[in-house]
Amino acid sequence: MEKEKIRVLIAKPGLDGHDRGALVIAQALRDEGMEVIYTGLRQTPAQIVSSAIQEDVDCIGLSSLSGAHNELFPEVIRLLKEQGADDILVVGGGVIPESDIPYLEEQGVAKIFTPGTSTKETADFIREQVKKKKLNRIEAPRQIDHIGIAVRSIEESLPLYRDVLGLKVQGYDTVPSEKVKVAFIEIGETRIELLEPTDPESAIARYIEKNGEGIHHIAFQVTDIEGHLDHVKQKQVRLIHEQPKPGAHDSLIAFLHPKSTGGVLMELCQPKTPEQNGGREHE
Amino acid sequence: MSRKAEEQYLKWQEETTKKLERFPERKPKFTTSSDIEVDRLYIPDELDDEYVEKQGFPGQYPYTRGVQPTMYRGRLWTMRQYAGFGSAEETNRRFRYLLEQGQTGLSVAFDLPTQIGYDSDDPMSVGEVGKVGVAIDSLEDMEVLLEGIPLDQVSTSMTINAPASVLLAMYIAVAEKQGVPSHKLAGTIQNDILKEYIARGTYIFPPKPSMRLITDIFAYCAENVPKWNTISISGYHMREAGSNAVQEVAFTLANGIAYVEAAINAGLDVDDFAPQLSFFFNGHNNFFEEIAKFRAARRIWARIMKERFKAKKPKSMQLRVHTQTGGSTLTAQQPDNNIVRVAIQALAAVLGGTQSLHTNSRDEALALPTEESARIALRTQQIIAHETGVADTVDPLAGSYYVEHLTDTVEEKVMGYLDKIEKMGGAVSAVEQGYMQREIHQQAYETQKAIESGEQIVVGMNQYRIEEEEQPELLRVDPALAEKQKQRLEQLRKKRDHAKVEQTLAQLKKAAGTDENLMPYILDCVRAYATVGEICNVLRDVFGEYQAV
Repeated sequence: MEKEKIRVLIAKPGLDGHDRGALVIAQALRDEGMEVIYTGLRQTPAQIVSSAIQEDVDCIGLSSLSGAHNELFPEVIRLLKEQGADDILVVGGGVIPESDIPYLEEQGVAKIFTPGTSTKETADFIREQVKKKKLNRIEAPRQIDHIGIAVRSIEESLPLYRDVLGLKVQGYDTVPSEKVKVAFIEIGETRIELLEPTDPESAIARYIEKNGEGIHHIAFQVTDIEGHLDHVKQKQVRLIHEQPKPGAHDSLIAFLHPKSTGGVLMELCQPKTPEQNGGREHE
Repeated sequence: MSRKAEEQYLKWQEETTKKLERFPERKPKFTTSSDIEVDRLYIPDELDDEYVEKQGFPGQYPYTRGVQPTMYRGRLWTMRQYAGFGSAEETNRRFRYLLEQGQTGLSVAFDLPTQIGYDSDDPMSVGEVGKVGVAIDSLEDMEVLLEGIPLDQVSTSMTINAPASVLLAMYIAVAEKQGVPSHKLAGTIQNDILKEYIARGTYIFPPKPSMRLITDIFAYCAENVPKWNTISISGYHMREAGSNAVQEVAFTLANGIAYVEAAINAGLDVDDFAPQLSFFFNGHNNFFEEIAKFRAARRIWARIMKERFKAKKPKSMQLRVHTQTGGSTLTAQQPDNNIVRVAIQALAAVLGGTQSLHTNSRDEALALPTEESARIALRTQQIIAHETGVADTVDPLAGSYYVEHLTDTVEEKVMGYLDKIEKMGGAVSAVEQGYMQREIHQQAYETQKAIESGEQIVVGMNQYRIEEEEQPELLRVDPALAEKQKQRLEQLRKKRDHAKVEQTLAQLKKAAGTDENLMPYILDCVRAYATVGEICNVLRDVFGEYQAV
């Protein structure tokens, strides 16, 4: 997947007309491969926040040399919060006394760059922080990819779904790593996955031995499984699989530990590509 | 000696003698530490036509060697420190302090709302009231600002552009109350809107009505405030925004040409207003180039005024200049090093023949200067003036092969830019096309890259760094000041004569739609205690607002 360009809004809040720094940093960030929008002079905090949301930026760079930073920078942060856009990184620069920096950081400005900072240093900081921020605003799972049901034998269980309930079988697969055979049954936009152990040592076999046949797990469909794993890990959720592994139909899967998920076994599942997603029927 | 040279030389001697009768020099005799006598002026042994055309004599066309015949031997430059913050009371105290410390002229810094024509209680003013200068809403504030300062004895420079007419009117009105007639007032308003569009950003109206406000001031002052510098055509801010020395001179003179043309088109005679034009340059780091810059600028301007605009009065051809040392050369790291930078830049300005000088304070990369820093900055000028002897002879670096080469080359490159801007339709048109803005930005970016690559060394910043100690004590503007200012404004709005305010504003609005001179109308508004914001809003209604390119 092509890496998306970081989008930055360089803004001049208040009435200050010194824009040498703002213009230089805008061009330097462009040279660093970012997309930069410059607001021009005399922007109110409300205008800045509205441009940032409209332009869907990852970062706002505020510049003020008139001494109004203690009033104007926190106002930008407040408005971002108010409008639910506080995932946007905010950095600042200009003539800002060191003793004001702790206050501004406490208010939510990620960093203040004082005169003499190299543009490279600023660019590196933005890149790193935006990457971190992106993890924190990972897209929620789109839908239930499937519900996994442990069965002793697909052949014996299938007629209930196919003949009695009248559902359609989408396909079969074997997952050697998990030592299971699976059958997918289509239902609306999601599926039921019947899991039959191929080996008495497999996880499914042990599950059936302990609990009998029945609902085994719920799988959430995600688009960025690695990002999700990092994200849930950051949020102190225990994982069964630290890294994604191959699942049925070339998908990538990983299980969360039921100790962290209220006893429900949850799977994250990233289908190989959207095309294959839609074309499953023909397999 | 050629005949022409001899004539000029005699003329200079004659003028000098005349001047000395009225204004004797600072000392009867100037000597070095070894008792070598220092002459007023040093000239080549062989005076030829080329010398006369390119250098001339001080106080003589083309003024390369200075605008006065005796330069600093007669009177030192004016030491004029820009100051102002918070309330009018507080700034008034700082002014009186600076005058007591031996400063010889006042220089008022206004806060940004005042500079952009917003009252202190305007929503646009949030956070900015009293920050970079003093907040002036009405004549009442101006009365407080100038209290106890005899306006017939000081000269006052006001850094005000878009609403320059309003602030000048307030100054005139305060003088009226002190019993000082306007023809005795001396000072300067910056009033240079073109560089606001290019580099400084405190514009209000579009170029056309802005130029009209400026020529109205020219016409009004020629008649009523003849000692006032009606404009300070400024390269300073373009230099701060990143231009180099050649661009600074070129764009400044291009703007100057635009103002002269506008005034002539408005029906003024060049010799009526041109003597009141003044200039404002930056004192930057490259020592000899800076000296050459001043010399070249004087020569080019004199020629333009004489040849292109057919000026006759010598004063119309003289480029008189105020200099401020380069704020953007100061570092936030090891701030005391800035004292040294400022001293060297100030020395270059003096050797370049500046008429007045502001030296920056060491802490200006961090905040507004503290009283102690401002004093050191002033002392720096006093040391140059009184201890170094550089002021004891006129234009001491003339004839240096290097300085003369730089002077010629700066001139040549400036002329190249002037031609180009002329072809674009002049400065106003070039500004509207964003030409100067782009040139300056490009130069600023290249400078930044050179600093980051280490090609250009900035001591204490990209080399010779140290573990920084705690930042020194900085000036803080009390946040309560803004509140107090708003309250004062609220009270004023209650107690003034409303009918009078409405009436004068209505008359101004009507006049703005015609081509009458607006100064008398603005004076009436000001006398009725209409605020800066109210007056500018009336003009915004008629003129519209400038949208940056």
